[in-house]
Amino acid sequence: MSVMEAGTPAAGIRGAAATSAETAARETLLSVENITLSFGGVHAIRNVSFEIAKGEIRAIIGPNGAGKTSMLNVINGFYHPQEGLISFRGQERRRMKPYEAANQGIARTFQNVALFRGMTTLDNIMAGRTLKMHRGFFWQCLHWGPALKEEVEHRHKVEEIIDFLEIQAIRKTPVGRLPYGLQKRVELARALAMEPDLLLLDEPMAGMNLEEKEDMSRFILDVNQQLGTTIALIEHDIGVVMDLSDRVVVLDHGEKIADGMPADVQANKAVIEAYLGVEH
Amino acid sequence: MFYREAGQFKTTYEADQAIFPILQDRMGIAVIMVLALVIPLFATDFVLASIMIPFLIFALATVGLNVLTGYAGQLSLGTGAFMGVGAYACYKLTTIFPDMNIVVMVLLSGIFSAGIGIVFGLPSLRIKGLYLAVTTLAAQFFLEWCFIRIPWLYNYNNSGAIEVPERTGFGGMVLAGPASPPITRYYVVLAIVVAITFLVKNVIRGRIGRTWMMIRDMDIAAELMGVRPLFAKLSAFAVSSYICGVAGAMLVFFWLGAAEPSSFSITVSFQILFMAILGGLGSLIGCFYGAAFIWILPVLLRTLLPSMGLDIASETVEHVSRMVIGALIIFFLIVEPHGLARLWQIGKEKLRVWPFPYA
Repeated sequence: MSVMEAGTPAAGIRGAAATSAETAARETLLSVENITLSFGGVHAIRNVSFEIAKGEIRAIIGPNGAGKTSMLNVINGFYHPQEGLISFRGQERRRMKPYEAANQGIARTFQNVALFRGMTTLDNIMAGRTLKMHRGFFWQCLHWGPALKEEVEHRHKVEEIIDFLEIQAIRKTPVGRLPYGLQKRVELARALAMEPDLLLLDEPMAGMNLEEKEDMSRFILDVNQQLGTTIALIEHDIGVVMDLSDRVVVLDHGEKIADGMPADVQANKAVIEAYLGVEH
Repeated sequence: MFYREAGQFKTTYEADQAIFPILQDRMGIAVIMVLALVIPLFATDFVLASIMIPFLIFALATVGLNVLTGYAGQLSLGTGAFMGVGAYACYKLTTIFPDMNIVVMVLLSGIFSAGIGIVFGLPSLRIKGLYLAVTTLAAQFFLEWCFIRIPWLYNYNNSGAIEVPERTGFGGMVLAGPASPPITRYYVVLAIVVAITFLVKNVIRGRIGRTWMMIRDMDIAAELMGVRPLFAKLSAFAVSSYICGVAGAMLVFFWLGAAEPSSFSITVSFQILFMAILGGLGSLIGCFYGAAFIWILPVLLRTLLPSMGLDIASETVEHVSRMVIGALIIFFLIVEPHGLARLWQIGKEKLRVWPFPYA
């Protein structure tokens, strides 16, 4: 799987008009309805609804403390909202544990890198295959026959991802030794190893320089286009958000203040006020 | 110079994932295995019974603790007690089935300590780190109390200690008891330790071992990748306690010959923990380094110091060896907090690129 074949530059590839018609026709992968989440007296999310269509890149933006990460935590089962409904692939979801969400095909990266620091890049990505491996304790002890076959099978998959994200050189390096930008990339690789239907990216470009951001943007587009993965993206770099995403949700103080095409959202008065403040 | 992997190309993932992917490592381990098999033929009973057998048993107990603390990240101070469970279980088993092979009994007795380990591992689902250490400390004291207060465990004898009866196996060989020759016991212990270490290595490099390390390194992310903390933590407790139980049973049946509750006191737990820390948490070879350092070095010092011709009292020898060991522990932990195994690894990395400082 070569990235070069599809190596299209990040910006300009997605005509806004074309994708809008496309996404409107697409089926909904995940929908959240009237979600309310509070911790004691603090309302992190208030009555927010939106949906994510299959195959799109959906950005969630907003000022700090707007409830974006809380929203992701609700989607992958870390937080349990007091009110509201979540349905994934048309199935309404009850209170669930994170590993159940993982089992259903939701993967995630974190704002502050959450890699397994004591393990190598390869092991970190193999860790993403955990749910797909089933050999029991007996065979694991022997590491032979079916267990070895399974291990090698998944190694092939993992190597495909390593090729895809161009991290061959750091395969055997413990991730703790890697520079930050590469750690972020390994984290993406680990999430991809789960072969998710929905990929949640929490600030994949935070703290990166321009070049690293361009690389990461290209990878996100490649994942979306080549693998067909639906992506929900939290990002502060508005330029990146406008270029990458099909649709944007804007949160502020736990409430949804805008939802729509990037260009529309950019022009929205409430959004501008939330970001720049209101004149009094 | 000689430790270089240039020219060793791997064409399959199987070869790449082997335990010893580098030829020199394979040769090294083969030499060590041959030495381990041949040297005892020439060694004295003292070397076998006071150095080699306890070294191997402690190394195995350290492997057990390392599974839990080094790989799964759950700090435990109950190692001694889990070893005791194995020893007492083996004693009861061999009392009930006196004709069964003692090696089988030793291996079965680990299952009992695995069960106990799971019970005392339950708090780990709620608490972490030092707080968990305190609950395993409770296991230590409670089980020690059981060994004293439940006479059934030591067959109601007056001394309150367990005495190893003579046990045979493998066609009439005397394997345990006062009449068993140290060399037989050594080979039995060696076989069990090597086999279990090999199996543990396999588990660690597969799916289950990865889930343990995922829980250790970042439990939140692990859960999001589909690891169920309940299974991961309790399986680590079970495997770890099984190994410690087997080590405990071997400690009594193949080394001490008799044991009382204080043989499994908190001192043993700490001794094993120090072996694991000094050897290197999260490393199997480190277990052997740690056990060698803490067990063999003092014995060597105690025998070598008088043989140098110095006229010193035996207490002084004991004191000096304790001071030397203490100083060395501090020295090594300052040089490399990740233990002797990390030093070994760094040394190998340097050798690979020698004479250049970097690759």
